[in-house]
Amino acid sequence: MAKRKKSIPGRWGRRKRDIGVSIWVAFLAACAGTFVIFAVMDPEALNDAWVLPWEMDRKLAYSLGFAFLFVVGLLASGLTAFMIRTGPAKGHVKGKGRRPPPVITSPTKDNPDLDIGDL
Amino acid sequence: MAKNAPEGESLYRKEPKIYPRHVTGRFARLRVVAVWVLLGLYYLLPWINIGGNQAVLFDLPARKFYIFGLTFWPQDFIYLALLLITAGLSLFFFTALAGRLWCGFACPQTVWTEVFVMIERWTEGDRQKRIKLDKAPWSREKILKKSAKQFLWVTFAAWTGFTFVGFFTPIRELGSGVINLSLGPWETFWMIFYGFATYGNAGYLREQVCKYMCPYARFQSAMFDKDTLIISYDKERGEPRGGRKKGIDLKEAGLGTCINCTLCVQVCPTGIDIREGLQYECIACAACIDVCDQVMDKMEYPRGLIRYTTEHALKHKKTHVFRPRIFVYGALLLVIVSSTLWSMTHRTPLRAELIRDRNALYRELPGDIIDNVYTLKITNMDSSAHTYRFVLPEGIDAEIETSRPLDLSAEEVAGVSVRIRMPRSAGQGIQNVDLQLHAEDDPSISKIVKAKVLLPLEFDNP
Repeated sequence: MAKRKKSIPGRWGRRKRDIGVSIWVAFLAACAGTFVIFAVMDPEALNDAWVLPWEMDRKLAYSLGFAFLFVVGLLASGLTAFMIRTGPAKGHVKGKGRRPPPVITSPTKDNPDLDIGDL
Repeated sequence: MAKNAPEGESLYRKEPKIYPRHVTGRFARLRVVAVWVLLGLYYLLPWINIGGNQAVLFDLPARKFYIFGLTFWPQDFIYLALLLITAGLSLFFFTALAGRLWCGFACPQTVWTEVFVMIERWTEGDRQKRIKLDKAPWSREKILKKSAKQFLWVTFAAWTGFTFVGFFTPIRELGSGVINLSLGPWETFWMIFYGFATYGNAGYLREQVCKYMCPYARFQSAMFDKDTLIISYDKERGEPRGGRKKGIDLKEAGLGTCINCTLCVQVCPTGIDIREGLQYECIACAACIDVCDQVMDKMEYPRGLIRYTTEHALKHKKTHVFRPRIFVYGALLLVIVSSTLWSMTHRTPLRAELIRDRNALYRELPGDIIDNVYTLKITNMDSSAHTYRFVLPEGIDAEIETSRPLDLSAEEVAGVSVRIRMPRSAGQGIQNVDLQLHAEDDPSISKIVKAKVLLPLEFDNP
């Protein structure tokens, strides 16, 4: 692994930036999602559908809707950041970097007695 | 980007195509069994009926799930949450215990890829023949073989898509819809979509899905410890590797038992060399174990140069099967599964709620009787019809009248107007009355329904 660089004053480290970006993107997505969903859907309809055991007023429904979308967005953006950072581009085996594919030779090349007929 | 790379070298290497060699043996047999059982369940379940309903049917338009004779309503979504938690915990538990069992034997990606590779082998032959065929110029034979493969792949993928939609639309109706070409647009879309996804994932992407797309592959190592079962090459025994004649003295030749036949690499579906150590691309399919054991037999060396083992065992330390994380995952799993089963078998197939008429307070009737009006929202969640009746708690003087008899057919949802009449003398202000609603033919089905009865407040007039 490359030597850890000294942190630059006033500049966030990579982990911090990843977390910040994930949260911010999830927030933006949740805002847009809440706006669109509740523009076309009246949360009172949730009460009429009689799924939840209690009745909720519109403000609570809007808040819960936003919170739900925010959590889903966080899950998506957090997982995306994680998948990008941990991908094979960083190296298949820790510290080894990107490796060439394994060498494949004919099994019988150096093993004259090996009979692979029925393998 | 690429201009920063050393001359003549690109930062991005094209992934070489992997031609996994066919393998037989213990673990290959086990995987074939897993493929038959899991795909058998997938393709057959929708065709089985239990109690008049499809054994497994997620009826989205009616918002009801039928699973093995049980009906789940939107209100039961807690079970869905519990199911997801159970699935997650099981994954933790089995990963800690036996590594990536899921990846090697049960993951849909593995199972369907196995079938697609099987079809490929039937039509194009094993590894060497496939490599040769791909390199060869187009000929009559190549066209025939490739189109036979494509035909079987597409047919199998289409059948998979059809079955998938059959879990959401009754599959017999769907079947006649396909035959009569009278399918709805959504059913057609999802059938093609799921079929296409199967074809692409199992036919072409294969190990790329595990390497680049699967989140489990990325964090499974967090559930590993030094006592987790992994597939490992025994370096101590195998090195130094090298080719040899049969029966030579290893010590004299300065060799380990690895004959460097590279068969373990050839059978690997993700194209790695297990001898390089534990890698996250390894899906623990154990194909390398099978092939290496056979090579060891032929060379008359003991089996197990590549084997299921643990890091501790490789370092000649004791392996602990029972360790704290196994107990924690196991106990949590046991508690959640047993409480889910208990609550599922003990749930009352009746849902009822009294909602006060929002427009009126109460009505005074002649004879000092106070009349309150409600709407009873009632759902018979059972698969048979019931007649329900209200029972008043002891000592409460009241009369209940419903706008229609509470006869509900199976799975009926109804809104019934209910009047509760109480004498003025019964009290003042809000009276909380717990009414009992129960099925006349089955005393086990009963539910307490809370009613707020309003009675007038009396003031002493001076």
